[in-house]
Amino acid sequence: MLLASYDLWAFVSANWEELLEALGNTLKVSAFGVAGAFAIGVVLGAARAHRIPVLSQLTAVYVEVVRNTPILVQIFMIFYALPQFGILLNQFTVAWLSVMIWGGAFNSENFRAGFQAVSYRYREAGYALGFGRFSTFLNVTLPIGGRIALPSSINTYISVVKNTSLMYVIGYSELTTTALNISNQSLETLEALTVLAVVYLALVWTLSVSIRLLEARLALPESR
Amino acid sequence: MPDWVEPVARYILQEGLPGTLRVSAAAVVGSALIGILFGTLMTIRFLPLQALIRLYVEVFRGLPILVTVFIAFFGLPSVSTRLEFDPLTAASIALVLWGSAQVAEATRGAVQSIPREQHEAASALGFGWGGRHSFVILPQALRRLLPPFVSLLVNIIQNSTLAGVIGGLEILEAGERQSERLTAIPPSGIGEIHAAEVFGGVAVLFFLISFPLTRLAAVLEKRLV
Repeated sequence: MLLASYDLWAFVSANWEELLEALGNTLKVSAFGVAGAFAIGVVLGAARAHRIPVLSQLTAVYVEVVRNTPILVQIFMIFYALPQFGILLNQFTVAWLSVMIWGGAFNSENFRAGFQAVSYRYREAGYALGFGRFSTFLNVTLPIGGRIALPSSINTYISVVKNTSLMYVIGYSELTTTALNISNQSLETLEALTVLAVVYLALVWTLSVSIRLLEARLALPESR
Repeated sequence: MPDWVEPVARYILQEGLPGTLRVSAAAVVGSALIGILFGTLMTIRFLPLQALIRLYVEVFRGLPILVTVFIAFFGLPSVSTRLEFDPLTAASIALVLWGSAQVAEATRGAVQSIPREQHEAASALGFGWGGRHSFVILPQALRRLLPPFVSLLVNIIQNSTLAGVIGGLEILEAGERQSERLTAIPPSGIGEIHAAEVFGGVAVLFFLISFPLTRLAAVLEKRLV
């Protein structure tokens, strides 16, 4: 029936400009989200691992709240509830902010585990060399613990990229929203879904393969 | 408490919660059955079968779940009209595809972690492949699968909110409908915006369901591994 009219090439050639721009938006939101999740992860992960008072407890609450509520609810809170308090954000800001908050929570757990896995002896050696607490963290704990946290944090980044598809619910014109909007008008549903599946799988698979390569390069010398 | 709260809460709990539970229950059972089967089959040294299941796992773990939901809800009916499902069923199907991929990967690891001697002992007792796996290997592997299963349950419950995106009535969709209704003029609404309270309540509800389960997963992880 409808399968007879399946024409992927026609769909792509008619809409490639719009789809490419949408992919650009997906990548932009992903980049902001990943960068933010990295920064949040390092800072709050360190606060947790080193039991910095107040910040450590606040981080624990933040992590539990984000982990135990659906990300869609978080997006709705930022998009529909914040305006009630006079905070009006545009769709792009809501998009990167919500994946950043989500990724940051998971990432601070990743980094906490990584930093805690750094043997106390290494830090002691840092102190013995005259480094202060902060420079010991920068020069000893971060390079070693960061590498230990790498595999799990990269999985979080991949999830951040996948979660950008949820911006469909706020109508931000990233890949999923755009492909579905086009298919709503032209009824080329299967073509649109094919494009979505191919592009997301290409993104995710490329990321996970390059990660395995990076992981091998960055692996701690002793575990090689 | 203001007057508008009671009908909103009742709608979310009476109309939304059953939808969430229905999708979650179907998705967990389906994911477990298919995932354990595929994961066990993956340990057989037969390349075409391994490659096929590997492809299934990588595809459904790689796709954003929302895209899988759209494939189940919009894509399947365009292939055949017999594959037309209501939103809650379509979401359950998508979650089974995703969840079974997760379970298959975990099961493969768990089955392979059972020592060789267990296989050999079972074979010596006269068990064939099926009997060996269902009576000797899987019961031991299931123990190791318990913590990831609880985490999967939490993930499935949270991702059941995706059913709302295609119009299925679950907790979040119920909250969305109510928060929209409140903004309407009387008599249907009250002409006020209460999105923060409604979605905050939805968040609290999910937290109350998920938090004990994530704690349980952490405890099981420590005890069983």
